[in-house]
Amino acid sequence: MTGNNEHSEGKHSFMPIVISVGVSILLLGLIIYIPLFVAGLIITAVALLKVFKDGFEEKFSKSKETPEEAWPLEQQGKEKIGVWVFLTSEILIFGSLISAYVYVRLGSSSWPIASQTHNVILGMINTIILLTSSLSIVLALYFIRAGNTTGLKVGLTSAFALGSAFLVIKLGFEWPELIRKGFTINSGLPGSTYYVLTGVHAVHLAAGLVAVGYLMLRAFNGGFNSSKHSGVENVGLYWHFVDIVWMFLFPLFYLI
Amino acid sequence: MPGIKTYVGIWLGLVVATIMEVVTRSLPGAVSLLALTILLISSAKAIFIALYYQHLRFESWRLAVLPIAAIVGIALLAISSAFSMAMGG
Repeated sequence: MTGNNEHSEGKHSFMPIVISVGVSILLLGLIIYIPLFVAGLIITAVALLKVFKDGFEEKFSKSKETPEEAWPLEQQGKEKIGVWVFLTSEILIFGSLISAYVYVRLGSSSWPIASQTHNVILGMINTIILLTSSLSIVLALYFIRAGNTTGLKVGLTSAFALGSAFLVIKLGFEWPELIRKGFTINSGLPGSTYYVLTGVHAVHLAAGLVAVGYLMLRAFNGGFNSSKHSGVENVGLYWHFVDIVWMFLFPLFYLI
Repeated sequence: MPGIKTYVGIWLGLVVATIMEVVTRSLPGAVSLLALTILLISSAKAIFIALYYQHLRFESWRLAVLPIAAIVGIALLAISSAFSMAMGG
């Protein structure tokens, strides 16, 4: 066992469990009791802040894996595997929602024509904005791998600005326009499916903005270099996933 | 890992594919065929983002097992739903 001492010095965090409990309370509260929702929100926020604080102090990167823990992905970092497990759960969430939408739509005798309800041009602009934000994030990673911190800062700032622009167009222009036309969440299945799916996507994008904002904070404080940039890579994986989801929502709601 | 030219080239391809989707929508032809074409373009876009921006093309195949398993699960769900619909359920 003495040989394993160096492996047991790593920092392990209980925060993912606390976040899970917090989110569960938050969702339960949303359904049954608003003060419970607030409590869940506080627990989640505090746990997230603790994760961010640990990230700032590089506690996770000190953690070393035992060979048993690493198998069968010994070449991958623990954080990256964690992100992919998380993304797998996200695929199940969005996959279920999209499947439900397709099921409902195919089972309906009538459905409004997409281009008459939604603004195709705004949808296309938003798609290009998201694609460009993905490019910005991946270039930010490319630059920091090469030790270019200015490129990293520009990439992250661009991604943040583009992600914000997407939300402004979606929530500030598209939704109000649709609501004015009487296309609301209560106006029937086309409305409820649209607002639920694009709303869940917008929440994910907002969470991505928080994560990119955190990366920016670290980047502007000299927190990354060519050998220490796993945070940029992991948040990038999430950001691209949110982009991929939109690649399906755009045609399903705006074109077909 | 890819260089800047590859990343920008992929982005350009994705933008062109998006424009193609919008153009395809207004082409004459059977609606179901056009919808299928648009969804195929969307799937291709998603695959390119996963392969090049999420770097799955350059990672161990073992890492891709996780998302692929989830996609297979969703596909099974969709197929069972379609089957249920066909049976009038």
